[in-house]
Amino acid sequence: MFKRLKVKAEPSLVTSEVPNLSISQFIGDASLPVTLRVVNSLPENPKLRLYRTLVPVQLLADFDINPRTWLNSDKQPQVRLEAENGSNKVKISAWHGEDESETFFYLELADNAYNGIDLNFLIVSNPFADRFFTDIDEQGRATFFGTVHRNLAEEEKAMLAGLAPGQVRLGLRSSQIVFTHIEIFLIMMAQHAYFLEPLSYVSAWIFEKRGFAYIKGHQLMDSIHGEFQPGGELFRALDGSTPFRRPEAWRTVRGRAWAIQDGILEVIGKKWDGLRMIKQVGKHAGVNTIPGVEY
Amino acid sequence: MASRFQITRAAELESLPIFREFITECCRRYQIPEEIILDVKLAVDEACTNIIMHGYKGMDPGSIILSFRIEAGRILVEITDFGHCFEPVMTTIPDVEAPLEEREPGGLGLFLIYQTMDYIDYEASAAGNCLTFTKNFPKRS
Repeated sequence: MFKRLKVKAEPSLVTSEVPNLSISQFIGDASLPVTLRVVNSLPENPKLRLYRTLVPVQLLADFDINPRTWLNSDKQPQVRLEAENGSNKVKISAWHGEDESETFFYLELADNAYNGIDLNFLIVSNPFADRFFTDIDEQGRATFFGTVHRNLAEEEKAMLAGLAPGQVRLGLRSSQIVFTHIEIFLIMMAQHAYFLEPLSYVSAWIFEKRGFAYIKGHQLMDSIHGEFQPGGELFRALDGSTPFRRPEAWRTVRGRAWAIQDGILEVIGKKWDGLRMIKQVGKHAGVNTIPGVEY
Repeated sequence: MASRFQITRAAELESLPIFREFITECCRRYQIPEEIILDVKLAVDEACTNIIMHGYKGMDPGSIILSFRIEAGRILVEITDFGHCFEPVMTTIPDVEAPLEEREPGGLGLFLIYQTMDYIDYEASAAGNCLTFTKNFPKRS
């Protein structure tokens, strides 16, 4: 084992701390990472040109939205960009029809403290699918994806309809193309990687398939898989005591995810908390902590 | 194109035999001499032990990505992790001739890697920590 270990306390600065981005920076060293805060300091039009790459063309085409103008065939705006000067975040939402609150695409990226980019939110859902109010509890409070409050009746309906924890509608199965677009954008920004915290067991499984590795939580994922095997502690805790702990739930990623949402990890002294994943731009980590288990 | 193999496992001691077996299997595909396989396994073992014991110290362990590539006359091993970074610079060479009671504990891992590998490189970035080492091997006649 190595004897000398030098741990970096602070991340090294990789991007110049300038209040505004000039064209000279784009002409200069193309390998130098550019932060979102710097991009957000651009004038509106060049900012829009860059951020437009984050929205998959195919996805917009499915909803008859012009990828260049973000207008529908009635010339109505269907995509909103929020990337204010001074902010370190970019939020993009797209919706179908007139109700802006019913988004089918929502993406939020933010600079993090380690000179990287965090993927804070990604929602790609089918606006024509049934909506389940798992995001609001019976008192009308936001559930924050079921992490703060829960709407058990809606969650049960959502589970039976094939949704994963945290979803309000079925997805569009478009995560692959969305991640490709995110990477293309990050390559333009000369970023090395991006990071996220998986909301649920299903999310972690999807991100593994998309090439993410774990900064924290790989061992936890291995433990969960092991304990869901016949004879394991999580397997035994699937006792039918709640609708989310059905005995057959261990057989699918989604079934396990609902049991985890229901707090089943308590039996092994763990919580679904603190997992962090990384995607290296251009590389697939090949992680598979849930081998041979179907969605 | 160079042949490349990769395995990713949790940063825990239980993964070490899997990494060793992975190196053995990769090397045997190319009929690498046994003494070279032993050297590469030793270097991988030491590097991964260091990541497990120090790199992910205080964290719920993340991943170690081990990749293996064969190029003309050399083996190239790349070990990536996402824990605390370290700089594998040999500041002093441990005195392996000294009596046991006079030696400082530890410190041999890096020494062994430097002794057995032909080239070592380390890079820490926002995309993780990457230790690369190569081992030359004689071409079969």
